[in-house]
Amino acid sequence: MTAPNSIEELYRERGSRARALHDAGEKVIGYFCCFVPDEILTAFGFVPFRIQGSQSEPIDEADALLEPMACPFARSCFNLALKGRYDFLDGFVAPHSCDTIERMYHIWHSNKPSPFNHLINVPHMLGPSSDSFFRKELEYFISRLEEFTGKKLDPGRLQDAIRIYNRRRFLLRELYGLRRESPPRVSGTEITKVLVAGMGIPAAEHIELIEAMIGEVKKRPAPAPDGLPRIFLWGNEIDDVAFVSLVEECGAHVVMDDLCTGSRFFWQDVSETGDPVEALAKRYLCTHCPRSLKPQAGDRKEDLENRFGYIREFIREWKADGAIFYIVRYCDTCELEGPDLKEYLTDLKLPVLMIEDDYSTSTIGQLRTRIQAFLEMIL
Amino acid sequence: MPFAGMDIGSTMTKVVIADEQEKILASHIGPTGAEHRHLALKVMDETVKKAALSFDALDFVVATGYGRINVPFADRQITEITCHARGIRSLFPSARIIIDIGGQDSKGIKLDETGKVANFVMNDKCAAGTGRFLEVISETLGINLTDMGDLALSADGFVQISNMCTVFAEHEVTSRLAEGAGVAEIVAGLHEAIASRVVNMTRHLGIEKDVVVTGGGAKNQGLVRAIAGKIGFAVLTPPEPFITGALGAALVGMDFYSRGVRPAKERKKEEVTFFS
Amino acid sequence: MEQAQQAKTTAVKGTDTAREVRALVKNIYRSAHEAKAEGKKVAYMMVASQYDEILRAMDIVPLPTENYAGLCAAKRDMDRFLLKAEADGYSQVLCSYARIGLGFDSLRKELGHIPEGSPDGGMPVPDMMLGSSAVCDPRFKWYQATSRYLEVPTYGIDVVAPPPQDDLNAVRDYYIQYQRDQLKGLIGFLEAQTGRKMDPDRLWECIRLGDKAWQLWYDIDRLRVAIPCPMPSQDHFSIMVAGHYYTGTQIAVDFYQKLYDEVKYKVDHKIGVIPDEKYRILYGGGLPPWHTLWIFNYFESFGAVFVIENVYRGYDPVEVPSFVKDPVDFLAWRAFLRFTRYHEKARSRSGNPIVEKLLDMIADYRIDGVVFHACRSCRATTIGQTHIKSELGKYSDLPMMQLVSDMVDLRDYSEAQWKAQIGAFMEALEGRSRG
Repeated sequence: MTAPNSIEELYRERGSRARALHDAGEKVIGYFCCFVPDEILTAFGFVPFRIQGSQSEPIDEADALLEPMACPFARSCFNLALKGRYDFLDGFVAPHSCDTIERMYHIWHSNKPSPFNHLINVPHMLGPSSDSFFRKELEYFISRLEEFTGKKLDPGRLQDAIRIYNRRRFLLRELYGLRRESPPRVSGTEITKVLVAGMGIPAAEHIELIEAMIGEVKKRPAPAPDGLPRIFLWGNEIDDVAFVSLVEECGAHVVMDDLCTGSRFFWQDVSETGDPVEALAKRYLCTHCPRSLKPQAGDRKEDLENRFGYIREFIREWKADGAIFYIVRYCDTCELEGPDLKEYLTDLKLPVLMIEDDYSTSTIGQLRTRIQAFLEMIL
Repeated sequence: MPFAGMDIGSTMTKVVIADEQEKILASHIGPTGAEHRHLALKVMDETVKKAALSFDALDFVVATGYGRINVPFADRQITEITCHARGIRSLFPSARIIIDIGGQDSKGIKLDETGKVANFVMNDKCAAGTGRFLEVISETLGINLTDMGDLALSADGFVQISNMCTVFAEHEVTSRLAEGAGVAEIVAGLHEAIASRVVNMTRHLGIEKDVVVTGGGAKNQGLVRAIAGKIGFAVLTPPEPFITGALGAALVGMDFYSRGVRPAKERKKEEVTFFS
Repeated sequence: MEQAQQAKTTAVKGTDTAREVRALVKNIYRSAHEAKAEGKKVAYMMVASQYDEILRAMDIVPLPTENYAGLCAAKRDMDRFLLKAEADGYSQVLCSYARIGLGFDSLRKELGHIPEGSPDGGMPVPDMMLGSSAVCDPRFKWYQATSRYLEVPTYGIDVVAPPPQDDLNAVRDYYIQYQRDQLKGLIGFLEAQTGRKMDPDRLWECIRLGDKAWQLWYDIDRLRVAIPCPMPSQDHFSIMVAGHYYTGTQIAVDFYQKLYDEVKYKVDHKIGVIPDEKYRILYGGGLPPWHTLWIFNYFESFGAVFVIENVYRGYDPVEVPSFVKDPVDFLAWRAFLRFTRYHEKARSRSGNPIVEKLLDMIADYRIDGVVFHACRSCRATTIGQTHIKSELGKYSDLPMMQLVSDMVDLRDYSEAQWKAQIGAFMEALEGRSRG
């Protein structure tokens, strides 16, 4: 099977590979967001599974247990769990990413307990004492896993896991690098599938797919210049192609992102030297998410630069013509961050379209006019 | 040289044919709606007839509005935001802000000095701040939708309506009636609420002169007055607010044409199937 | 055009002392204006951030921005601030406390002065903003966003609590260590801002005053187990001002002493909130509907009194080990003990500390029914209510109800719907007392 076909299948049949591994006797641990180190789970021999929702399935059962003013991504995940879709999980781990995820952990735990359940506290502040605390939290997490498995963590296996995930990070960056071309030979829709497909399979398998995909894309002939605008996406969870496809259908190339389902989860490597747990704590804590607060740095302009400077690089290197924010509604920290980032990008003369949405494909069509008008405006 | 613009809204389909002087040669309005899908084409035919032209004589056809996507005989599909901006720019070169209040949504559009869209906002997918909100409440009150604006103008003060959720607002209206509030004052309160919502949304763009109110809402003098009250200065309204989107579409087509763009494919004069 | 009518929105209080709170509230904002005039430092701050005594010890005048939002709602003067924030691009579902704060700061900047007629004279421009991660996310993020309007030094601290499933013996040390580090970081920031060192003796004194006030507040709440109820929840939502906004001052101690005496007198003389108390209601959670506090009086018209509540509570007293000799260590320890007070109990039964606390209240206060308030823009106090309700249902068969609106945004409130819901709830209570 070709790489795009395998990716398509994994993307469509989410969880199928993890379920098969579970049925074959492997242990699968489900987790949320970008703060749970895959490396630790892998070193223990678990298959890490990043829990996803479903934008195409209405949320019904969860409404009886979780308030509708909670983040619809979280509600959707919980809804799938209630319907038994995640019954193959042998463990459930949530980081204290935000109010909603933290509260949902308790509700989930109470209604759908797994053989292993754990909540990792993640500091909202960034700084040396936060690194130390998070390191302690990871050590406690490790001790809980040791208790659960009855075996000690093997430091060699942890180092191996760090290396393999860094390899995956390297390859994903390389794949993203191909999007710098104008026009790109790989679409945002394809990239979304590659990322989502990899969320529930062992890293080694994902690495093979990404390598094959890179090879495949490199063989594609360079498309003729089309003058279509290049779009940078910012927001939180986009684990369905519906939105990205809509933007591309309206006449644009989605070329770069800062999403927790995109560059955020793989952009930075874990240091391979020194104490591995400390390296993991440092790496995972600096994940870009509005739920983490960088200490104020200088005046407003300097502070925005300190917070969003990395996005300036993305914009420059991927030659973005416009930015679209896709905020899953009820995310307080994104809703506070959005206007700040908009100010920053507007200063850089980059047009911004800010969209707040319900994480549902049934309403995504209503965004068409907004997106198309934005593209007409920036052309 | 005739250019046609077709604006397929949620309730009405509007067609304008304009020439290269930006002069309207003909316009026609007909109903949209699931049961009327064939009527979109009929509105086009009617307009072509009014202009004493043949369909094939049209140099460029642009479709806009909610139903723009599947118009088989259009050369381009352009959003109503770009089209409203273009239409208003032709009618009011001084316009900087456009407030379009339609049946299903409302929009604020900012134009730069050259009349190009600089920024825009659209209301959320709830009915608040749209014609639909007034429609629902007019049914509750048993008043003709078209009489609502004049009723609001006749009111002595207004009753504060704080709920913008249509269902809640219905409750609120019923309670206020039960408390003995006057119907005209309640209707005035509803207009205040919509104006507040729409103007506040538009404030995001930075409001500056001139402001043009268009779309179906511009026909409602009570609403126009409430909007002007919130903004703090008089607003302009086009003589025929329903057709500014279609006019803009025709002119966008003209702009394409003058840039050397020609219809790429043969137009299929088929029914519009956007409700399939 | 003038607005045709303005309904009464505030509640009639049960105690005389609660009526004195209005002056305390006014004094918060007056003090801040005076402090600015005298060159003292004023700080935007978040209640329950575990740093109150530090601010007092360093003579920093606290300006609680969330309280200001509640005040605007109680005065029904919130729309202009909410609308301003929304016009500036903030979502209508963002925390409405934050929207009012951002809208107020935006308007003040745009006008160049405090918006005309702002409740209680408005908030002056602070010298600094101090966020925290205690309770919810917007509380550490809001001030960062505010820097759009207000370029003053801003600092945030983490306030951490372990999940109830954690083994406290395994996590205690590093949780307390982190809390201490965070508070020390704040002190360093405040020392830089004020140019003065913090005096540990002064901090001890403020801690002593803080604990004394909180002990009295706790004792008052214990008195409320009496039948008939001497002090209702609407009073709680006033009298909390002393405990949350005057923490670490003699003012709070004096206020609670006076309130204690009044409540004690009422208990001794069997003076209830209403003459004929038929039902005792627990306010199970959610921020109060500041826009419509008279709703408590509406319940009373059915003979139902809110006797205790689980929001904006004082903390139950905790015993910090005697080997803790440093005041900052003490604050870190105290925070940890406060947050884990119900953990052991939870581990042995429901798994949920809030459920345990509510079950204790139901038993101690002889509760007949539970009411929750879901706020559309408050994730932290709303998410989990439905779950808690269903968990409570496993141990109790009391009628329970969830009202929905928002803490300040009136656009989310429907009086007609509430009255219908309350009517049905009363029928359930009545049916139960008959059966």
